[in-house]
Amino acid sequence: MCDKHNGNCFEYVDSGIPKVALNCIVNREEVHTTVDPTMTLLQFLTTELKLFGTKEGCGEGECGACTIIMNGKTVNSCIVLAIEAEGADILTVEGLGRNNELSILQQEFIANDALQCGFCTPGMLMSARELLDRNNDPSDEEIKEALAGNFCRCTGYFPIIDAVKKAAKREREELK
Amino acid sequence: MLSKFDYFKPQTLDEALTYLESNPGTRIFAGGTDLMIVLRRDMEIIDHILDIKGISELGHIDYKSGEGLFIGAAVTVNEVCFSDIIREKYPALGQAADTVASYQLRNRATLVGNICNASPGADLSSPLLVYNAKVHIAGPKGKRIVDIDKFFTGVKRTVLEKNEIVTGVSLPDVQAGDMSVYKKQARIKGHDLGIAGVSIRITSNKEVFVAMSAVAPTPIRLAKVEEAIATKELTPETAAWLSTEVRKHISPISDVRSSAEYRLHISGILAKKGLLQLIEKGVN
Amino acid sequence: MSDKQYTHIGKRYDRKEAQEKVTGQAIYVHDMELPGMLHAKCLHSPYAHAEIVSIDTSAAKALPGVKAVVTGEDAPYSVGIYMVDKDLIARNKVRYQGEIVAAVAAVDERTAEEAVKLIKVEYKELPAVHTVDESLEGKILVHEDLHTYEHMKGVFFPQAHTNIASWNRTLKGDVKKGFEEADYIVENELSVPAVGHVPMETHVVIAQADPYSDKVKVWSSAQSPFACRQLLAKSLGIKKSDVQVIVPYIGGGFGGKAGIHLEPFVTVLSRAANGRPVKLKATREEEFNLLPTRAGMRSRVKTGVKKDGRITAIEVYHDWDSGAYADYGVNVGKTAVYSGAGPYSIPNVELHSRTLYTNKVFSTAYRGFGHLETHWAIERHMDMIAQKLGMDPYEFRMKNLLRTGETTISGELMYDTTGSPEACLDAVVKEIGWTGRKTEEERQAEIKSGKIRGKGFAMLAKAPAMPSYTSTSAIMQMDEDGHVKIMIGAVDMGQGANTIMAQVAAEELRVPIENVEVLWNVDTDKHPYDWNTVASKYTVMGGNAVRKAARNMITQMKEVAAQVLRCHTDELTHGDGYIYHIHHTHRRVSYTDLSMGYVYENGNGIGGPIISHGVYMASGLTNPHPETGQGRPGLVWTFGAHAVDLEVDIETGEIHIFKIASAFDIGKCINKKMVDGQVFGGVLQGVGSAIIEGYKFSPDGRLLNPSFTDNKIPTAKDIPDEIVPIYIEDPKSAQIDGPYGARGIGEHPMISVPSAIGNALYDALGVNFRKLPLSPENVALAIEKANN
Repeated sequence: MCDKHNGNCFEYVDSGIPKVALNCIVNREEVHTTVDPTMTLLQFLTTELKLFGTKEGCGEGECGACTIIMNGKTVNSCIVLAIEAEGADILTVEGLGRNNELSILQQEFIANDALQCGFCTPGMLMSARELLDRNNDPSDEEIKEALAGNFCRCTGYFPIIDAVKKAAKREREELK
Repeated sequence: MLSKFDYFKPQTLDEALTYLESNPGTRIFAGGTDLMIVLRRDMEIIDHILDIKGISELGHIDYKSGEGLFIGAAVTVNEVCFSDIIREKYPALGQAADTVASYQLRNRATLVGNICNASPGADLSSPLLVYNAKVHIAGPKGKRIVDIDKFFTGVKRTVLEKNEIVTGVSLPDVQAGDMSVYKKQARIKGHDLGIAGVSIRITSNKEVFVAMSAVAPTPIRLAKVEEAIATKELTPETAAWLSTEVRKHISPISDVRSSAEYRLHISGILAKKGLLQLIEKGVN
Repeated sequence: MSDKQYTHIGKRYDRKEAQEKVTGQAIYVHDMELPGMLHAKCLHSPYAHAEIVSIDTSAAKALPGVKAVVTGEDAPYSVGIYMVDKDLIARNKVRYQGEIVAAVAAVDERTAEEAVKLIKVEYKELPAVHTVDESLEGKILVHEDLHTYEHMKGVFFPQAHTNIASWNRTLKGDVKKGFEEADYIVENELSVPAVGHVPMETHVVIAQADPYSDKVKVWSSAQSPFACRQLLAKSLGIKKSDVQVIVPYIGGGFGGKAGIHLEPFVTVLSRAANGRPVKLKATREEEFNLLPTRAGMRSRVKTGVKKDGRITAIEVYHDWDSGAYADYGVNVGKTAVYSGAGPYSIPNVELHSRTLYTNKVFSTAYRGFGHLETHWAIERHMDMIAQKLGMDPYEFRMKNLLRTGETTISGELMYDTTGSPEACLDAVVKEIGWTGRKTEEERQAEIKSGKIRGKGFAMLAKAPAMPSYTSTSAIMQMDEDGHVKIMIGAVDMGQGANTIMAQVAAEELRVPIENVEVLWNVDTDKHPYDWNTVASKYTVMGGNAVRKAARNMITQMKEVAAQVLRCHTDELTHGDGYIYHIHHTHRRVSYTDLSMGYVYENGNGIGGPIISHGVYMASGLTNPHPETGQGRPGLVWTFGAHAVDLEVDIETGEIHIFKIASAFDIGKCINKKMVDGQVFGGVLQGVGSAIIEGYKFSPDGRLLNPSFTDNKIPTAKDIPDEIVPIYIEDPKSAQIDGPYGARGIGEHPMISVPSAIGNALYDALGVNFRKLPLSPENVALAIEKANN
């Protein structure tokens, strides 16, 4: 391959697209950088910021594995462009715990075995987080509606719904 | 993704129109729920993307008594779901919005994007049809308004010319007592494209409007059904009659989602159930 | 045996790795980046069956950033876990739409994608085999050279010059005589489509081939690191000891990641790229369209019964639409030989299980290993026999269920401690309040409301389908602080193996659960052997191995302690972190004082680091006899039953499930929280197969639903109102040679869910369904048809 290109061994291929400035907040920390405008937010969070907790399950916004919270709303980061995060406040699974402590939601996921392989778990937690942020006492139906866009093949969803209900109750009681 | 695009996010409509004129083939980027799939699957190579989410006038839901409702092009489906005024005055639209994709997708997908994508099964199309909505378009030659029932021209095709952009959709005001319903059948209870969708509206004058999606190349008003039902009392018997009548006026196809037979069958059922629901609501 | 005698067994501990998974710290191959790593993309065949006339990769190779382009010409290797019938990359011919024809490794994904687009392939389309009947007809052959393929002789029986990859049989008694004795003969044909495993993490492989030797290092989202090592070595003609396979956390498997899949050809790519690590992450479309599925299957069942309900004979043809390659699917076909007639005592049996080639994406192991498919046929058929007899389907099954002293269709003898099918059936019919079938009057009364309720149930039984000499092993080491690390060869993909094994070890060692860890990142260079993490066998086999390792650890400590305490080893016992004398309990030595050997006051050291191991070999198993299928293939039988209470909307065809009651004779739940997880997840996966899932193909053999747009799985809104797990933990029927009486359950919750739902639909509607899925469309149109 090398001798076809005047002896240059290409390790970095310039796409030819000029990078664009990106300034945002990710998990309460400021980020100032530039990005390829064709990069998705998922690619940015994982390959650039090395926050590998968020996963790609389909790349088309169907399975929810890539769910993160942007400006208070859940989105499928695989179909959001990184540059759309300009000025945005982003929360990923890595930002749920604080001061080296797991959040109540994460604790209840563990206690209720709301996970098995764990691959859908980060996205599931973000959808649950956003639900509890706007509805601190959700019914089973409301939980199902909020989580219907997060596929899980392992748990059958029952333990996840239990975990979210119990977390909601504890948050109402413990977080004043 | 093979496309290498230039991304532009204007702050005003004029900036947008200027960019569109200078860059033919620009794709409009609102929620991106359709566009990003096109990009990922390399269905098209796209050189220019125009993000309309920075144009503030496109981000509103405005209702004015006497005038009606205006939904800007950047308004998300979830904003439609959570709009009290839409729930109250244009219930079929809120109900249809509830059935669009998943919660996360509804935070991104826009109502205008749904109709501009012009899938035959666009959930938000039939409610707009029964409300005689109007599509507001801006372009290099100026602004124009197109009735929703003239907006769709074929499978994934609309009247939009090159370099035109939809700025929003307006629905005429409704009187007290105006009611509507949206019924959809999908393959699962979770989020899914519709096998068929029906919107029925009964105005305060007992005028009935019926529209459907996923049973024709475009979303359609069932004008002949509306004519026939105008002569009838709104009773459970009429709802049963509607079930058969609707089927006479549509020719759905078979595809990976459903056979034509089931589409035909379920269209009648949805219409019947929809009308029954409205009748019961009217009684109470 | 009550839980009171155990400290850790029976406790609902949190899974050990939960924190890593809820914080995003768990690393999957999906996330991994290695220094110098390249990215791979593939070109797929658009045709179901075609000759490859030419491939021009010159433009792709010339693209800056491309480090390797490979085609079948560059990889003259074949692979096959049971029959070597598949090229690593298609050579000369493609046999399914989606098959890999060429691949690229480049410095980034975009460059790899661009390069793939530059590869020009010329095909000559060939007529294809699309259905079971076309396959049986044999006019077009998928594999003309079938008769030359290396395969496990005496276990699989390829039929030369046909599309039959293997024809396996069961013969017991005399079916001709059995049918003559019957009062009625009932025949049915039933079928299921192919479905996808849909793990949330697709298949991902990173392969790194040493350019100066044969050595290969592979990281894979895989269930079977040792099988992968063995098959990769075999396919490339290198030594097993030159291959290292590492499996970190994996995002689900469900059988689709058992055996070997992308690893060998990614290794070829790495070799072509001068040994750079190459990562291939399957897209979701590739997961559906390239990677294998569960086979479609068509069953023809004929049963003879007496008026009183006793079955006299059964003749079955299970024909598997297994796709283009035999892979693991051919073993699924073989397994039907001992399980393909349900948990019934049948004196006369003739069963044919034919694994058939078609030009579609091929099939592999899938949770249940053929049992969901065979039990759809058998349990629906059983219900239809009961209908014919005018008998309550519960009574009919009770008349024929396997009991102690009776034999299975492959001649295995049932003991009390094999398990109790009837206890499972009794439990579920009680839970849904079964009082007999709905009458026509009751049905008519409900029709007005537009919704009709129905109840149904179905049995299930499965033993692991594995070689008769399957074994597993465990290594244990104690740290200076008395903490124990365990290495096993099985992969915890969320089923909880690591947590369960920790509980077993903690129980035997009598230490707190926090002091025991099973190490992650199974590495064939370091971890001891396990066959494949499949078959619901690991609790039994691994549990037994870990118990032995733990007991050996205690024995080693006692041997040193006996010297220190100057007593006999058999006077010693253990607990609370000490080895101590059974009578003079103050005469004791702590584990920590023994863990690195014991040091006397004068400085003498005895003993040494405490490292133990345990091995478990499945004992007494035999291969099924090649002609009769008789033998002892089943290590452990787990019996179960599901009962369903549902309601159908007779206009839309939509099913609403109120309750699924699922009972399993599990012997002992080591951790009920983990077991519940298997039940909820497996039952819902069964609901998916029952109501939603199914691959659809165009007339020319193209997959029509290769994405989540049209290949749906159950979401949180698709769950039943209630799933009620019931565990039979009766010491009389517990697995006496398993750990604490426990049996496996990983696959069983999925089996027979569709059958129970189909049976409930009959109760509701009086309509018999013979095909899956029971989608709103299929149910509504069947109701319409029945009304006309």
